[in-house]
Amino acid sequence: MTYSALWFSQLQFFGSLSFMLVFFAMELGLSWLLLFYRIRAMSGPHSVWVSAYRFWVRVFALAFILSFASSLPVLIQLGSIWPNLIVKIGEVSGPIFTVGMLSAFVFKSCFLGAMLFGYRSMPAWLHSLAVLLVAVGNTFTAACFVALVSWMHVPTGATLNEGLYEVEQWEQVLLNPAFAWYFAQFVCASLIAASCFVVGVTAAKALGRPCDESERRVFRLGLWVMILAVVGLAVAVVGNGLMVAEHQPYKAAATAGYWISNEAPRFLWFAIPFGTELKNLFALGWTGGEVWLSRDAEGQLIGLDQSAGMLPPVALVFYAFRLAALLGLVLLGSAIYSLWKSSSQHYDAAALPLGWRRYLSWQACGGWLLLIAGLAYQLFGALPYVVYGTTTISEVFANNAFNHVLAGLLAYVVVYTFCLAGFFLLIRYITRHGVVPVARRRGRA
Amino acid sequence: MIEALANAVGLGVHEPAFWMPLLFLGCFFVVIVAGTVLDGFDIGVGCLSLIAPESLRPRMLALLSPWRDANEYWLFLGMGLFVTAFPKAWGPVMGSLYLPLCGLALGVMLRSVSFEMRLRAPSELQGKWQVAFGLGSLVTAFVHGLLLAKVVVSFGQGPGYFWFGVFMGFCAVAAYVLLGASWLIMREAGELRARAVRWGSRAVRWFAAGAIGASVVLALANAGVLLKWSEGINRVAVLLLWGVLLLCFVSIEMCLQRMINSSYRTTAIPFLLTLVVFLAVLSGLAFSFFPFLVLDEITIWDAAASVNVLRIILTAAMVAIPILVIFNIRVYWGMFGLSRPPLPPDYKR
Repeated sequence: MTYSALWFSQLQFFGSLSFMLVFFAMELGLSWLLLFYRIRAMSGPHSVWVSAYRFWVRVFALAFILSFASSLPVLIQLGSIWPNLIVKIGEVSGPIFTVGMLSAFVFKSCFLGAMLFGYRSMPAWLHSLAVLLVAVGNTFTAACFVALVSWMHVPTGATLNEGLYEVEQWEQVLLNPAFAWYFAQFVCASLIAASCFVVGVTAAKALGRPCDESERRVFRLGLWVMILAVVGLAVAVVGNGLMVAEHQPYKAAATAGYWISNEAPRFLWFAIPFGTELKNLFALGWTGGEVWLSRDAEGQLIGLDQSAGMLPPVALVFYAFRLAALLGLVLLGSAIYSLWKSSSQHYDAAALPLGWRRYLSWQACGGWLLLIAGLAYQLFGALPYVVYGTTTISEVFANNAFNHVLAGLLAYVVVYTFCLAGFFLLIRYITRHGVVPVARRRGRA
Repeated sequence: MIEALANAVGLGVHEPAFWMPLLFLGCFFVVIVAGTVLDGFDIGVGCLSLIAPESLRPRMLALLSPWRDANEYWLFLGMGLFVTAFPKAWGPVMGSLYLPLCGLALGVMLRSVSFEMRLRAPSELQGKWQVAFGLGSLVTAFVHGLLLAKVVVSFGQGPGYFWFGVFMGFCAVAAYVLLGASWLIMREAGELRARAVRWGSRAVRWFAAGAIGASVVLALANAGVLLKWSEGINRVAVLLLWGVLLLCFVSIEMCLQRMINSSYRTTAIPFLLTLVVFLAVLSGLAFSFFPFLVLDEITIWDAAASVNVLRIILTAAMVAIPILVIFNIRVYWGMFGLSRPPLPPDYKR
């Protein structure tokens, strides 16, 4: 029974974390796209980018609302589901949380209001500056939280002393080997999530009518950003793979579906990992791929059989990685195809075949799926550890009663579904009818 | 007094390990008070919007609009301060409050999402978001009471505690309703004020019952607290506090009754008195708990992070606090008195 409580708690935490991160990624990606639109719109009030900015700033605002509101459940669950975690890593997490939260607060209070409500009342350069600072602030907040997660996966620069971590060198904690790759992956995934959404919504607008000039520009830019971000993500994934092989042996072995140590490794395209018998039931691939696996002190390849029961959920990690890779390829292919098809029609999305436009509008959330699959790969791959190699997840678990966890999970599902439905209803509404600006004035109502 | 405290902990008065946790506790208290009061009228008006006639609801929510951005932040700030400055109490406290905290997370989330979504939604959907905002406020208010009940009995489990929690939940809703109603009385004239007077006069006794209930149970469940209240100079202070509470409750009740009997004129008195009550209740609780975060188990010095960490947090806070203060003064400047309508936009450009 406690096992299922633990399992449901993981599901609950992963659910709320991915909800928050999806919208945070949208916010981050859109804030850089919006900066581009805003700078191009400075050429004059009749620039084609003005309407692009005004439309997408609404989507940005909705994403911001959801990511901000859903970060509170994550923070609370961090305490109510994993209470001992902060006790153990408080020395590391405390300052990172402080800097992350305070910077988010400062950037939000100073610049976000100006960005959302100050378009008319501020000079163009000042407003562009506010947009820039919002983008910088979002990136900085992302860097803070990626630093904490990557440190938990490769805990360098701190030592465990009587069950509590003590920081020795902050440079090593913040610039741990995983940080750069995790951060690059998150930024690329954010750009993919945002640009994929932009492309999807523009295609949905083009279902009934031809695109205007501003939508064509937005469509072309979205496709290019999508292609470049997928390529960037591929580079980051390769770097991440080499880093994982060096620092997280069982994650590497689970990704490769490599069970028996020192067997000739195979580069598997697809397989059915079968945990109880320590083998793959079905495997499709070719030989090679040692470089993605860890080696022990004698230079022998480390397989999953050496883990002594401390295994991550192999099948989940294996499939999540391949799902993410497949999604990346699908998104890349669809972007290249759309670019090629529409280039002769001035990038008018309405010139694409109707079925393809429908497909693109469904694919608007493809970037979200990619992000969630990647997140599942990174987080579940580190299990059963939360701080790699020292602290397991059941050590920090609160042992909440099973029926409480189930009730909580159901309540979260209801509220998250409600919020998600609201988001999509509003997106559908503005896709059909356009946006009407909302006003808010300080101190007056 | 401070020296006696330092001796009891076994640290020097000037050691950072002694005064830094105290400083952070002070900040924590300020954030809690600000959050309860400033987010409180917001919650109260949200609860009231559920029972208000349909024609008044948009106006009630529009009145909240300028402060939503800032009000949302207090809970984050409080949680953030708690998790960073007192990590060793964070686990024991948060880990034993799973279900109420679920309610808190969902209530607050529903509130902030539906308020902002309502602003941007087409008019036929605004009613739904508005109900969601009201429900979120109701859940949040109830859970605040539930959490207080849990904290007061040191996270005890049992059937009696359950009903005490439910009772406190209702009283917390009443407290926020009174705060919201008295704020509306100050802000707005006409039908809304007349209705707010009614709502307030129904809530005030429940609020009083809750305040008394919390104190009585706190004293009965923890012998140490009762002892602390009754020794020496403290006895006078506690009696004084009770006197102030009684006076305030009676004055609010009389003021509202007079408004019903004679005239619905503009007055900030009920709002200010309610603020005094909130402040008195919270300071009473803080006084009873000090220096513990979990009664008789974890003091602030046990729970505090190491001096190095506190120093980093303090440095970061030194940078952020001036911005924070300026921002909050700018935002909350127009919170008191009658509502001023926004200026029409400047079309000259």
